[in-house]
Amino acid sequence: MPLILRRDFLLAGPGFASTISPPLKRWGVKVIDAHDHLHHHGSPEWRENDRKLIDAADRLGIDQLCCSILPPERPTTLDGFRECNRWLAEAIQRFPGRILGYCFVNPGYTKEALEEIRRYVLDRGFIGIKLYNDYQVTEPVLRPVVELAIELRIPILQHAAHTSWLSVPQPRLSDGGHLAALAGRYPEAMLICAHICGGGDWEWTVKALRNAPSVYLDTSGSVADDGTVEMAARVLGADRLLFACDLSMTTSTGRIRGAELSDADRRKILGGNMQRILSRRG
Amino acid sequence: MIDVNAYLGHFAFRRLRHNTARELLELMDRKGIERAAVSSASSITYRNAQSGNEELAVEIKAHRDRLIPFAVLNPAYAGWQDDLKICCEEFGVKGLRLYPRWHNYRLTDTAAIELAHRAAGLGMAISIPIRVEDRRQQSWLVDVPDVSHEEIAALIRAAPEARFILSNGSGFLSSSLGRPNNGLPANYAIDISLLTAVLANELGSLLGNLGEDRLVFGTGMPFHYPDVALTKLEALEAPEPVKQKIARGNAARILGLR
Repeated sequence: MPLILRRDFLLAGPGFASTISPPLKRWGVKVIDAHDHLHHHGSPEWRENDRKLIDAADRLGIDQLCCSILPPERPTTLDGFRECNRWLAEAIQRFPGRILGYCFVNPGYTKEALEEIRRYVLDRGFIGIKLYNDYQVTEPVLRPVVELAIELRIPILQHAAHTSWLSVPQPRLSDGGHLAALAGRYPEAMLICAHICGGGDWEWTVKALRNAPSVYLDTSGSVADDGTVEMAARVLGADRLLFACDLSMTTSTGRIRGAELSDADRRKILGGNMQRILSRRG
Repeated sequence: MIDVNAYLGHFAFRRLRHNTARELLELMDRKGIERAAVSSASSITYRNAQSGNEELAVEIKAHRDRLIPFAVLNPAYAGWQDDLKICCEEFGVKGLRLYPRWHNYRLTDTAAIELAHRAAGLGMAISIPIRVEDRRQQSWLVDVPDVSHEEIAALIRAAPEARFILSNGSGFLSSSLGRPNNGLPANYAIDISLLTAVLANELGSLLGNLGEDRLVFGTGMPFHYPDVALTKLEALEAPEPVKQKIARGNAARILGLR
């Protein structure tokens, strides 16, 4: 066999043909994107954009996407979240086996929000609850929603960020510290802190969650910072991390590919941990 | 593969890994990256950016076959003309990297335009990182906005003989820089580090708008995981020869490499 020098290998470069196998498939695990979104029907391209999301998942090797649809207006109206959940239920039928649904609500509509969650989880197979920034998670208005999530044994995916600078202010934005406080009150709740790589100072967030063992952290976001996943795995443990994209598909895929992790830990993050959460419903 | 967007040294607001020449080369070996255009990350926040260039020159001295030095110059700081001469004659830098927002000047300032002309005369490429960090995660001490695309376009217009590499940017389709027939000289290339390759697929649109010679591979390492840019290139739906141009050929041409 001829000797191939390292420099020759590098000069030749890797192939980039699109026919190569999807990058996330190499670890042999069912890959679950724990945080993503289908598109609001106010956009004329929603159908095409939903299709593009599934196509991207196919190319990257993502088997299932846990999605919500969010309305653009804040505060979220009752009609706003109801139509989003209806559209999501339709999308689950349109892409069989690919989409798992988070029921999105504004917890300020206590009675209606609880009814909406029960209906979509018990009758339509939704797997969790998505909350945005209508309220901070430590506000009492959230408690009935958290208590229902505990009763139904489903997770709550909470939009979160810790940042000094935001182009559009979010006065009721929650951060990892708020989630840790909520977990202290409800240690049996399955809480997911959203997008470590789209939520500002990720080192702050990881440290804020250190002593809140029931809070998971999703790895999604558009920020490609090296070392994010490794720090989160070191401080929180790989069992608490969930692979996710939040529409940043290649960045989130590249991040988890590049993170220096054992194969066992990577498999947990890519899908094993989310499978464990989903299995709690029985 | 040639990475046009790499760094060595320290950044004031976050600890970086793989930020020595030896560590970066090990990372490049693991990722199949042959060469990288590197500049000092420390120079971004040093008042006197030349100190970082001096550190870089020492750090990469034994690795010039793979690490291509870029100097960070600040045309608003005293002595930049002397620094440019030293970087060229003593350090053998192949390009400049400019941080107008961090260094408190505008690309349209007379000195910045003069620097671009001089760099072109010396055969140096000019790299402009549009951002260092996502604004949402910047320290409470600083609020440094991205470099505006129109400001970059103005410099490109003012120095048509220069060669520019625009790094860490996105949203080019909303500005003149990413539009076809934009009236700008074709003397700039855009690195793929923050472009989308699926969904909105800005990378694919720029290929159509600007042509296959105008995109270059850039990772932003060690600030970024290099695997992100690798994944984008892999996911891009384009013929293999086009991907090879992005991966290597275009950067080799711009940097004057064999």
